[in-house]
Amino acid sequence: MRTLTRLLPKLAVGLVMIWAVATFTFFLVHALPGSPGDAAYENYILSGMSPEQAQAKVSSIYGFTSHDPLLVQYRGYLWRLLHGDLGQSISYSGVPVTHVLRAAAPWTIFPALAGLVIAFLVGTSFGAVAAVKRSSRWGGLLSMSGSFFAGIPVFVLALVLAFLFHTEWNLLPYGDTSDVTLTPGFNGPYVVSVVQHAILPVATYALLGYGAWLLTMKSSVISVLGDDFILAAELRGLRPRTRMRYVSRNAILPMFTVFALSIGYLLGGSVLVENVFDYPGLGNVLFQAIGARDYPLMSGAFLLITVAIVLANIVADLLYTVIDPRVRR
Amino acid sequence: MTRLHRLRAPLALTACAGLLAACSSGGKTSSTTLVYTTVSATNPITAGAPMNPFNASGNYFPGFDTMQLGFDKQNPTNPEDFFPAIAASWTITSSGITVRLQPGAKWSDGTPVTPADVKLSMAIALTQGSATVGAGFLTQGLDIGSVTEVNSSTIQIDQAAGGSNLDFGRLVLGQYIVPAEVYGSLVPSTVWDTITDLTSTDAATANAAVTKLNAIGKIVSSFSPAKDVSAGPFVVARINPGSAELTRNPDFYGVAKIAPSEVILRHYSGNSDIWGYMKSGELDSAPYTSMPTNILDAVEGAGYSRIDTASYVDAAIAFNESDAPYDQTTVRQALAYVIDRQAVTKVGEPVGGTAAADLTGMVEAATKQWLTPAQVSSLNPYAPDQSKAASLLTAAGFTKSGSQWLLPGGTPWKITLQTVSGFSDWNAAATVISSELDAFGIPTQVKLTSDFATYKTDMAAGKYAVGFWLIALGPSASAAYQRLYGQDDGYTANADGTVTHSDGGGNWQHTPTGYTVGGAPIDPGQLTAQLATLSSTAARPVVQQLALATNAQLPVIPIWDYTAVDFTYDKRFTDFPGPSSPDINGLMYDGPGVWMMQGYVKAK
Repeated sequence: MRTLTRLLPKLAVGLVMIWAVATFTFFLVHALPGSPGDAAYENYILSGMSPEQAQAKVSSIYGFTSHDPLLVQYRGYLWRLLHGDLGQSISYSGVPVTHVLRAAAPWTIFPALAGLVIAFLVGTSFGAVAAVKRSSRWGGLLSMSGSFFAGIPVFVLALVLAFLFHTEWNLLPYGDTSDVTLTPGFNGPYVVSVVQHAILPVATYALLGYGAWLLTMKSSVISVLGDDFILAAELRGLRPRTRMRYVSRNAILPMFTVFALSIGYLLGGSVLVENVFDYPGLGNVLFQAIGARDYPLMSGAFLLITVAIVLANIVADLLYTVIDPRVRR
Repeated sequence: MTRLHRLRAPLALTACAGLLAACSSGGKTSSTTLVYTTVSATNPITAGAPMNPFNASGNYFPGFDTMQLGFDKQNPTNPEDFFPAIAASWTITSSGITVRLQPGAKWSDGTPVTPADVKLSMAIALTQGSATVGAGFLTQGLDIGSVTEVNSSTIQIDQAAGGSNLDFGRLVLGQYIVPAEVYGSLVPSTVWDTITDLTSTDAATANAAVTKLNAIGKIVSSFSPAKDVSAGPFVVARINPGSAELTRNPDFYGVAKIAPSEVILRHYSGNSDIWGYMKSGELDSAPYTSMPTNILDAVEGAGYSRIDTASYVDAAIAFNESDAPYDQTTVRQALAYVIDRQAVTKVGEPVGGTAAADLTGMVEAATKQWLTPAQVSSLNPYAPDQSKAASLLTAAGFTKSGSQWLLPGGTPWKITLQTVSGFSDWNAAATVISSELDAFGIPTQVKLTSDFATYKTDMAAGKYAVGFWLIALGPSASAAYQRLYGQDDGYTANADGTVTHSDGGGNWQHTPTGYTVGGAPIDPGQLTAQLATLSSTAARPVVQQLALATNAQLPVIPIWDYTAVDFTYDKRFTDFPGPSSPDINGLMYDGPGVWMMQGYVKAK
């Protein structure tokens, strides 16, 4: 009951935020210059299509472009949204937006989550070691590795990984979710193939997050190490391992909030990573939708990211009350 | 020991990753299948899109699983020159086309391809935004009036009453043919009555017919067939978000010619994806990809052979002629003398471009086919010549103050050269052009627009005076000049042979309605509109007039002809089409599925 009374206001605020962001993004995407047809025609020509074929495709797109006044479109958008309908994609000639997003979402959520979890586990563990051993060579090396990966732009890291592991050494596949000749399902070859294809994006997410987690955890541990209760524990003769457990539990508290928030932000960050690896997830869909001025698809993808961030915020708030009893008082 | 204990988890993760990496085998092939791997340039795989050729993002692959009556040979002087496909042969008359189907043509479900399939496909084609009312439909549109089954393998397709489109045969041959069994339920049985209404003299009836057909079109294009039913050499077995597996269609009429048992088509989102696949030897052939020379070297080093063919697109500098001083022919000519097209092409499109030679509004390959040798040699090549440029400007009232050219009014002449972010060839070329103009005394700033959609909108709004633009689209002269003087510049061809012009409704160039060429006045819009209704022989003098006028007036300065640079890889297959193969332009344009149908590509 207490959780429910805490949850309901947060959900209400979350819904208002979703409406506000959905409204803002709806008008924002429609304010982009150019129309779906404008974006498409020259691209078709440059890809080698004849003017007749390009025109036929543009005509097909034109049929799905609403020509109603913007406010009328907005009212229709909200009404459909209330019914769980995100509309029809323009660049997919009327395929429902939910269908397109549903097809792409797993290929973003699972790699992004896997990367986040790996980065969190490795980064916080190494961060704690780097803090405790900060005067040793190991501590220095770990801190340097954290600064190194935290400083590399996502685009550069992804390009370097793609170049080395695919183009140069041909060790890892690229550009798909699995080997197309395998039958999808819970069978060994298919699962291995999916994992192989996900290694590069997952590694990018993991290496990107690793540096930030390591450095944040290190400073958090150092700050806790200076607290009076640790000094008291040391004076009372507690074993270093037990002491470290207390330090870690206290130092990791702020990390959980950031962890929950990172889930939402990773979805937005997937645009760059998936574009480099040509990995067919939400980020790639959003990128293509912007280029094609596919307003319903853009709005749908932005809405999905917004909902993820809002939900992550609510979960982070609730989680904090669970892991830190002081907040419950 | 303690340290090792702490590192246990990360070490385990690293070991897992290493193991998986070691298991990876890239593009693998089982011993029983002969897999051909490539990329479809015009149809990259789109996750979540249906296997439907009428869907703008559909996962369909012309030449492999998606068939037309014929495939275009890209012959600039004979637009009806096609490779046979579902149609074994055809006869084109002024009123329509008679098509004879391939003997033994079957769908991959074993049922024969029938005239009913062709009739339905033609009706569907008219629902895809092709149906309009008015003169343009009858002179330039797919103005099908009727489709009649002559016998079980022959179909007569006629233009609507009053139709006079000489490209009608070409348009019909290029339509996708789909099975009535799969698509038939989407189209009402009264669709041909609706099509007949398009040419009704009652405007309300005709407009209602367009609305009805467009509504059917929306249903058709969003339709998602449960499985692929193909009349082509292959049929889709599985579509992944990033690749498609197609298996050989045993019911294909020419299956004996098809060597690969499977085709894998890879998705690509940019040129660099294709470069990566080629550098690692994954593709058996690759379509045209713009690339710098270092990538070309790497790709050729990996064992790929290059085939260059005409691509019938030019990159050009265009002007908004409603902005002074670009309304003056001498100014545009002077700029053409300043810009060294060879130098610009070397930087902008060193692999996939040839510096524009003829400046006629068509690519060089088309110019040479339309014009006589004497006419070609009479064209002004605008070879770099700064003194000629200076004298033209001086004669037009421009002056020079120090190293800077001044407009006739005395204000400094500065140019903003607009291009598009992400169009790396245009941007590199713009930098060279800006240096050349700077050195000549016209300070030039290169400005990038964020993307092409914005560029086009801003252009139409007249925001740019000088910018990059694609011209000479398609092999036909009609399409090329439409881009400069036709529909794109506000001209409409009427059924009665007249042409109307409304400035402002067309593109950004605002070319004048009349030119004087060799002392004689011509109306380029009128001439361009006529092209659609003239036979190849009758069109020749008109094309020649337009080419000579364009060379003299320079509404655009063509910089390079794009070259289609395709690649083949002979490690797994052999007998690819080569530079000396007949109709090589068409073969490269149509892709490997059509090569295989023509008997090319054999197992090594």
